Amino acid sequence: MSALEVTFVTADRTVWTGKASQVVVPAIDGSMGILPQMQPTLAILGDGIVKITDEDGHADERSVSGGFVSVDSDVVTIGVDDAEAVAPRSERF
Amino acid sequence: MGAQQRVYKQRIRSAQGMKKIFKAKEMVAASRIAKAHARVEATTPYAEALTRAIGSVATHSQEISHPFLDSERRETGRVGILMITADRGMTGPYSHNVIRAAEQLANTLRDAGKEPVMYVVGRKGESYYRFRNRPPHRAWTPYKENELPALGREIASVLTEDLLSEDPAVHLDELYVVGTKFESRFIQHTKSIRMVPMGLVEAEAAAERPAFPLYEFVPDADAVIEELLPRYIQSRIINILLQAMASEHASTQRAMKTATDNAQTQIDKFTRLANSARQAEITQEITEIVGGADALSGSGRTER
Repeated sequence: MSALEVTFVTADRTVWTGKASQVVVPAIDGSMGILPQMQPTLAILGDGIVKITDEDGHADERSVSGGFVSVDSDVVTIGVDDAEAVAPRSERF
Repeated sequence: MGAQQRVYKQRIRSAQGMKKIFKAKEMVAASRIAKAHARVEATTPYAEALTRAIGSVATHSQEISHPFLDSERRETGRVGILMITADRGMTGPYSHNVIRAAEQLANTLRDAGKEPVMYVVGRKGESYYRFRNRPPHRAWTPYKENELPALGREIASVLTEDLLSEDPAVHLDELYVVGTKFESRFIQHTKSIRMVPMGLVEAEAAAERPAFPLYEFVPDADAVIEELLPRYIQSRIINILLQAMASEHASTQRAMKTATDNAQTQIDKFTRLANSARQAEITQEITEIVGGADALSGSGRTER
């Protein structure tokens, strides 16, 4: 199965880049899950938690408020104002 | 030691003291350039992501409309100028260049029958206008270097609000930004950029670039562009602020380098003068001794 190429950026830095198997973002009209092979989408984000699950199954959670996400042939770009770490259980950070 | 020599020694000491200060400032600025430049670079991914997203909305839907894209924004004739200057002195011509560019722009706008409204960042620009008795419409000063992104967000939100305002006393038709572009640590350019109205440039060489895919917009294309454009302005303003900061450091470094060199020239000059003063004093003393001896021997006295 192909993986998602995720770039998670805020206005002044890059928060997370790499391959992921699943991304969940808080779209303005409800939570939106992104899996590989999804159709190209450009969505506005509301307040909530961005959850990125990488290929090993580790999940990273960041709380965001407002932003956008674009999905285009398995390239996922998430741009937000500010992302704050929520889960200390993540091993990556 | 003669009075002349003492004066020169004093001058040399004071020049040496200043040289040390300039040298220290130069090195501080030099070390900050790299850091500031890294901050500029860090904003690039976000800006690129945003530009791509806007590009794909623009190519996808033919008739996107947004107040920022309307090229005929003429309601009040008020035009915002955001000017980014330094908080500190000792930055060489950095702030003056920006102020001059902003003044030129304001004059051009006045000639075109528009009313420039100043938004100023930095103490140097603010005091320039306050001293001339026309205080800027809004000034952000002093600012902290590590809080620039937050400052950029605040500025962007104020400007966006004024641009979209219905109140004729507040509404802005256009927005220009005057700042300094950081090309490298040796080259910086003062630039005036028109931010609003934006021109969507249709990619002419579309064949070379991958065509934008057909996107699904959530919730819809108009809502998406409405969200993205203010974000774009915000990201541009933050980027320009950071570039200005890097340029300020580069300019400081250059100014302080010149100051250090000048102090050294001064030291050299006064050292020479002190040397010749010392030599003159010695010569004079010898002349006096010889003259005295001659006078004594000429008087015919044999014993001392």
